[in-house]
Amino acid sequence: MRPSSTLRRVSTRIVTYLLLGAFAVTTLFPLLWMLYSSFKTNQQISLSTFSLPTELHFENYVNAWQTAKIGTYFANSVFVSLTSIVLTIVAGASAGFILAKFKFGLRGFVYGFFIVGMLIPLQSVLVPLFIQMRDFKLLDNPWSLILSYTAFGLPITIFLMESFIRSFPDSIIEAALLDGASIRRIFVALVLPMSKPVVATVAILNFLNNWKEFSFALIFLTRDDRKTLPLGLYNFLGAYTADYAGLMAALMIASIPLLVLYFLLQEQIIRGMTAGAVKG
Amino acid sequence: MELLRRNPRTILWGLLPALLLYVLFVIWPILRSFWYGFFDWNGLSQPVFSGMNNFVEIFSDPIFWLSLKNNLWVVLASVFFQIPLGLLAAVLLNGQVKGSKFFRTAFFIPMVLSTVVVGLLWSTMLNSQAGPVNALIMLFGVGLNQTPDWLGNPNLAIFTLCGVIVWQFVGLYMIIFLAALQGIPDELLEAAAIDGATPFDQMVRIQLPMVWPTVIASVVLCISGSMRSFDLIFVMTQGGPANATEVMATYMYNKTFAVSQYGYGSAVSLVISVISFGLILVSRFGLSRKEEE
Repeated sequence: MRPSSTLRRVSTRIVTYLLLGAFAVTTLFPLLWMLYSSFKTNQQISLSTFSLPTELHFENYVNAWQTAKIGTYFANSVFVSLTSIVLTIVAGASAGFILAKFKFGLRGFVYGFFIVGMLIPLQSVLVPLFIQMRDFKLLDNPWSLILSYTAFGLPITIFLMESFIRSFPDSIIEAALLDGASIRRIFVALVLPMSKPVVATVAILNFLNNWKEFSFALIFLTRDDRKTLPLGLYNFLGAYTADYAGLMAALMIASIPLLVLYFLLQEQIIRGMTAGAVKG
Repeated sequence: MELLRRNPRTILWGLLPALLLYVLFVIWPILRSFWYGFFDWNGLSQPVFSGMNNFVEIFSDPIFWLSLKNNLWVVLASVFFQIPLGLLAAVLLNGQVKGSKFFRTAFFIPMVLSTVVVGLLWSTMLNSQAGPVNALIMLFGVGLNQTPDWLGNPNLAIFTLCGVIVWQFVGLYMIIFLAALQGIPDELLEAAAIDGATPFDQMVRIQLPMVWPTVIASVVLCISGSMRSFDLIFVMTQGGPANATEVMATYMYNKTFAVSQYGYGSAVSLVISVISFGLILVSRFGLSRKEEE
């Protein structure tokens, strides 16, 4: 080897770590700042924005949770997100099973019909969906969000479920049929348990999407006690303009479930989000 | 699987819940919005058919053109920063780097957060009273008598928003490219290194051509994603100051819900769909030609 190649390798390493370090600081510092500012007082934030808190002001969290009603928004978000996930998975898995294992004339059409949904931008239905919810008398009702989130979660759910279930050997289902099991029983007792990994991916993906969703909530909900977290946070800004510490605490409360999930199930989350992205 | 073939009732019942929800809350509203686009309607009264009037009005509204221009800035910033930076991060992490798992985790975090949280966090970070960004500038920019008003200056605000959007999404492209790069056999890069290729040569001559199809897919994803930008801009500036950061989706929202022009808003959403579809076609065509050369 030529002597210059060691030097070159060392300098490549240095440049690599410098760049990676700079990237990491750029992504992590705002989050760290959000975390530690949430324990400071507003005065401390304004006077020395970089300094760490001298004592931990947990009252920011208490105030955000109670006075700014983040607790109510949190409960609404939990209800809406979880109910939609259950509906999405039940409807999506059943459709995925039919599309994967049954042969019928319109199969290709129905499959394509669902998959096209991944390309539909949410904005293109904002106006008509608002009118529809108004006609159904569902405005200010959590079901307006639940039904919309479920419907918009179905394309990616069906796409992932169908491709997973299709890989099951037909012989297993045939054997169960010969044993006299009904199709519904095969779905509940055989297909669903075998689909656990993809159900997990789909559940996480839909949970993230629903928990973070803002546009639908913005147009469907006006009553304060019905708002979900993203909408509630948005209103926080209007109501408590200069309460930076309270805002940071509220942002932390909204983000903690996502961050915990991310640290626990990183691989599934990344897989689910990129599967959704490349297709959508 | 004869049994699975002759079971129209099972097939129908299995598909029905999904089909019903999907048609009722996705497909039907879209068809309705195409329809409403040709009507003059305030949301309450009887819609009045107005032919192409809404579209004529859209294309003669300077604010629409401003929002289209701003939207194109977002698209350009996304394509020319998110994708190259994502690719760079992926190439750096693809080598044997200590702590690559840590870096990967860190870069992807902004993607996990809600866009509303990202928007409010950055609004505060860029705030002149409390935010660390201007504090940092004051620290280094000695002699600067004024710090930038990131979101209040109409000439600057849209670029500030572009920066935040890039910050939020780079991690997604990093992951997509990382997966593509891991498909390239190590022997290829090792052989090139032995022949004296620098890491930069390897990136340009081997890695980039091999992940090019992924780059095309990402550009398409990037365009369609940034044409839809709404949440972040709505949270951070609401299209202001004085329409300076209006993009097509905020324009549509303001026209529909602030001034109750439902027919007009539907027409705008139709225009958004057509423009973003057109951009996707153009980019796909342009980039795949380049691939053949």
